[in-house]
Amino acid sequence: MDRKQCCVKLSVQPSRGLMDEKFIVLVQNALPGSQLTIRALHQCEDGHSWEAFGHYTADTTGTINVSEDPSIRGTYSGVEQMGLLWSLRPIPGSKPGLRMRKKNIQTPMEVTISVYQGHQTEGFADLVPLSGVVVERWYMAPGVRRIPVTEGGLTATLFLPSGPGPFPGLLDLWGGGGQLVEYRAALLASHGFASMAIDYLTSKFTMETGKMVDNQYFETAYRVLQQHPQVCGSKIAMIGLSFGTSMTLKMAIYSEVIKLSAAVCISGSHVQPVEGSVEEIMGFFQKNAGKTRFNEKNEAIWRDLLLPIPTDPSLKADVGRLQCPLLLVVGEDDQNWPAQESALDIKEMMARAGNSHLLTVLSYPNAGHLIEPPYTPHARSSTFKTVEIQEKVMCLWGGQTVEHSRAQEDAWKKILVFLRENLYGGRNPTSFSHL
Amino acid sequence: MFRAHMSVTRIWQLIEKRMMSCISVHGKLPGLQRAVGEVRRKSSFRQSPLLTATPVRALIDEQISIKGRFLSQNYPVTVCAQMHSEEGDLWEAFAHYTTNASSSINLTSDHSVGGSYVGCEPMGLFWALEPALGSREGLRLRKRNVETPYMVNISLLEGHTSPSEGQRTELAAVTTERWYMAPGVRRIEIRQNNIVGTLFLPPGPGPFPAMLDLWGMVGGLLEYRSALFASRGFASLSVAYMGHKDLPGPQHIMSVGDSYFKSAFQLLQDHCQVDADRIGVIGLSYGVVPTLRIATTIGFKPSCLICINGAVGSPLLDEDGKSKMFESDQKHWEFDDRGYVSFRNVSLPDNLPPESKRKVENITCPLMYIVGEDDLCTASTENADVIEEALRSAGKSHQFTRLSYPGAGHLIEPPYTPCSRASLWKTKPEKLFTLWGGHPAPHAAAQEDAWKRILEFMETHLRR
Repeated sequence: MDRKQCCVKLSVQPSRGLMDEKFIVLVQNALPGSQLTIRALHQCEDGHSWEAFGHYTADTTGTINVSEDPSIRGTYSGVEQMGLLWSLRPIPGSKPGLRMRKKNIQTPMEVTISVYQGHQTEGFADLVPLSGVVVERWYMAPGVRRIPVTEGGLTATLFLPSGPGPFPGLLDLWGGGGQLVEYRAALLASHGFASMAIDYLTSKFTMETGKMVDNQYFETAYRVLQQHPQVCGSKIAMIGLSFGTSMTLKMAIYSEVIKLSAAVCISGSHVQPVEGSVEEIMGFFQKNAGKTRFNEKNEAIWRDLLLPIPTDPSLKADVGRLQCPLLLVVGEDDQNWPAQESALDIKEMMARAGNSHLLTVLSYPNAGHLIEPPYTPHARSSTFKTVEIQEKVMCLWGGQTVEHSRAQEDAWKKILVFLRENLYGGRNPTSFSHL
Repeated sequence: MFRAHMSVTRIWQLIEKRMMSCISVHGKLPGLQRAVGEVRRKSSFRQSPLLTATPVRALIDEQISIKGRFLSQNYPVTVCAQMHSEEGDLWEAFAHYTTNASSSINLTSDHSVGGSYVGCEPMGLFWALEPALGSREGLRLRKRNVETPYMVNISLLEGHTSPSEGQRTELAAVTTERWYMAPGVRRIEIRQNNIVGTLFLPPGPGPFPAMLDLWGMVGGLLEYRSALFASRGFASLSVAYMGHKDLPGPQHIMSVGDSYFKSAFQLLQDHCQVDADRIGVIGLSYGVVPTLRIATTIGFKPSCLICINGAVGSPLLDEDGKSKMFESDQKHWEFDDRGYVSFRNVSLPDNLPPESKRKVENITCPLMYIVGEDDLCTASTENADVIEEALRSAGKSHQFTRLSYPGAGHLIEPPYTPCSRASLWKTKPEKLFTLWGGHPAPHAAAQEDAWKRILEFMETHLRR
C-alpha cells in the first residue's frame, strides 16, 4: 500500500458554513515539498458540474494552508482563502452561458473538495484523490423561517430570523429577468434582517392578467412587512440590483407610504421617467434598444441604452430629495447598465441639493454588473431573458473574475455594516466614509 | 389583514415543522412561550439587539463564538442555552454578563459573573447544560441518532435572571445546530460475523486509518464518538457487547467473549477502505478490559491504544472473557447517603482476581491512559499505576502516556457536552443510581483537553 495514500489529511473548517462565511482548507501530513492539487467540485441544481483547482507545494512540515499559502496556478493563483469557490467554472464541455444561482435555499450547496497527487489540470474524473471532504454551504441559518406571502396580491417570500424580534425589515428586489429570487433575502435573514424577496415582474398577477404591477404593489409589500408583529415598522430598508435599483430609488424618493431607513442600490441607475409606472419605465428602456451593441463574441452590451445621462430632470429620479442614507455599489466594468456614470451624476445632484452626507459610493475597478453575495462564481456573460424580450440572448455583464470576486466580498461586508448601523444602530443618518 | 386563531405554541410548532405555507398572525399576539417561565415581547418601536453564533452549524467538538450587539452600555444580560434531548427532556444553561462601553458582549472573551458557570468560558453554555428544574432524576445526555444534529437555542434575556424565573424579557435568540457527523461521512450498520456494530467511514476514497470503539457496561450501541472520529478522517467501528437486542443471551449479561472483539478487529482489518496496518482501539470504562485483551492476544497488533478510566482486569470474566452477572458480587459496592452506588472499589487492583489481569507488559504499541481523578466508578488512578509500572519494568515507559485530570469523573467523553455526576443505572428490581463523579467545570476542561490529545495521539500513531 502506498504510504502516501493513507497519510495525507484534508480538512475544511467549518464543514457546514453560510454562503458568506470563510473556511480554512488544510492539507496535512503530505510529503514535504510534494506537489499537490486541491480541487473543488460542485454539481448545481440544473445538473451542470463546476470545478475549481489550485496547484500547491507542501511546506517543510508537509502542510498546505490555503489561507496562507499561494496557489502557483489553476483557476486561481496566489493566496486565495476562498478561491476554490469563487473561481468555480463549468467543467470543459459544458454548455456556454451558464450562471450559478440556487433556487431551493432550504438545502445547502454541496461541494466536494479533494487533494490529488501532482499538479493536475484536467481529467480529474479519472484520477483517484489522496483525500476528500464534503462541505455544505447554506443560504439559510437554522431557525430562519421561510414564509411565502400572497397577502394583497403579492408574490413574495418573507424570511424571518430566529428569535422574538422585532427585527428591522428589508425589501429585496432583483432585476429585469423577473422571477422570485430568494437567496439574498435568506442570507440577510440569517444576519438578523426580516427580509422579503419580491417578484414584481413575473408575479402571479402579471402572469394571469398580462399586466405589469403598479406602484401600489411595492407599497403593499412595505405595509405587509411593516405590520408584521415581528418587524420593527420604523426600521425598514430596501435593496435593489439592476432594474431593482430603479424601483428602489423610485420608492425611496416618491412614495408617500414607504419611509425607508436606508437604501442599497447595486449596479443600477437613477435614469427613468420620473412619473412612470413599472411598465412605462421598462418601455423607456425598450425605446432605446437600438443602442444595443455586440462584442466580437456576439454578446449583447446594454449599457448604452441609458446613455448619455440626461439633463432633463423628468428623466432622472430626484436623488436630491432623498432623506435616508443611500449606498451605491458600482462595478466599473459593468457592461449591462451605466452604473458608474449614473453614480457620478447622482453624486453631483446630491451635492447640489445639499444631501450628499447621505451618500456612500463603493466603486470597484474591473467588477461587472452582477455584484452578488460572495464566494459564488463570476459570470462575465450568460444567457438571459428579460420579461420584455422573450427570446434568450447572450448578455455581457462584464467584470474580470479576480477583481469581481474581491468586489463581491468587499461589497457584501460593507452592505452588512451599512444595514446594521442604520437598522440596528439607531444613529443619525450620515455617510459611511469609513467603509 | 393578519388574523389567526391558533395558540402561539401551535404556530411555533407548525413553523418549525415547516407546515405553514402562509402565515397570518394576529397583531396582538403576545410572543412565544418557553417551556419554563413566561416571556414578554418588546414593543415594535425599537428593534431587538442582535445575537449571533458562528459557526451556526458546528461539529460537537468545534468552538462556537457567541456575540450580542446593539445593546445598551453597562447593561446586565443573561445568555441562556436550551435544548431538548431525544427523550424529550429540557436541558438548559445560563450565564450573567454585563455589556461594555461598546454595548456588546462576546462570550469568547467576556467573563460570566454568575449562573451555570463563572469566568471566561466560550463553550460554557454547552458543557454546563443541566436538566431543567422539575426533570426526572439521574438523566444523562447521549445522542442515539447521530445523523441529525442537536438544536440548541441560545437566547439573550434582559437583566441577570435564570430560565426558571417567571417574567423574563427575551431580547434576541439564535438557533445553533451541533452535529456528530460531518457532511459526507457514511454510516453503515454492521450485522455480520455475529458482530453488532456501526461503522463510520470518512468521505473520500480511503484507505483510512481506523479505530475500534468500545464503551462501558451500561451497554447498547453508542455511535457518537465513532461518528466524530470519522468526521476527523478516521474510519471507526463501534460495537455493542451487551444490552442490545441483536446480541445473543440475556441483555444484562455479557454473553460474548474474546472471540467477539477479535472478530470486530478483524472486520476492520479486512475492510477494503481501511488500512489494515493502522488500526487503534479505544475503550472507556469496562471497554478498557477488551481493549487490553485484544492488545495482549497473539496475532493482533493494534497501532495504538487509548484507555479511559478502566481496569486491567475484572472479577466477572471467565476464561473466554464472557462475564458473569455484574450484580452477582456486591461486596465492594459503596452507597452514599442518597443510596447512590459507587463501584470504584470493585476495580481496585487488589480486589481484582490475579488471573483476570492482563500481561500489560506484552503490549507492543503506544498506550494512552486517561484518568479522571474524581472517578467514582472505577479505580482509575490505581489501575493507571499498575499499567505504568508493568510497562516501566519491561523497559517500555516510552510507550506509556498518562493524562490525569483533577476534578474529572468517570465519563470523559467528547468535549462541550454536560458532565453527569450520577445517573440512573437500572430500574428493576428497584431504582439504582450510579455515581460517576466529576464536577462540571474541571470535567469540562478535562473533556476538552483529553479530546484534543486523543486526536493528536491518533494522528501521530495512525497516520504518520
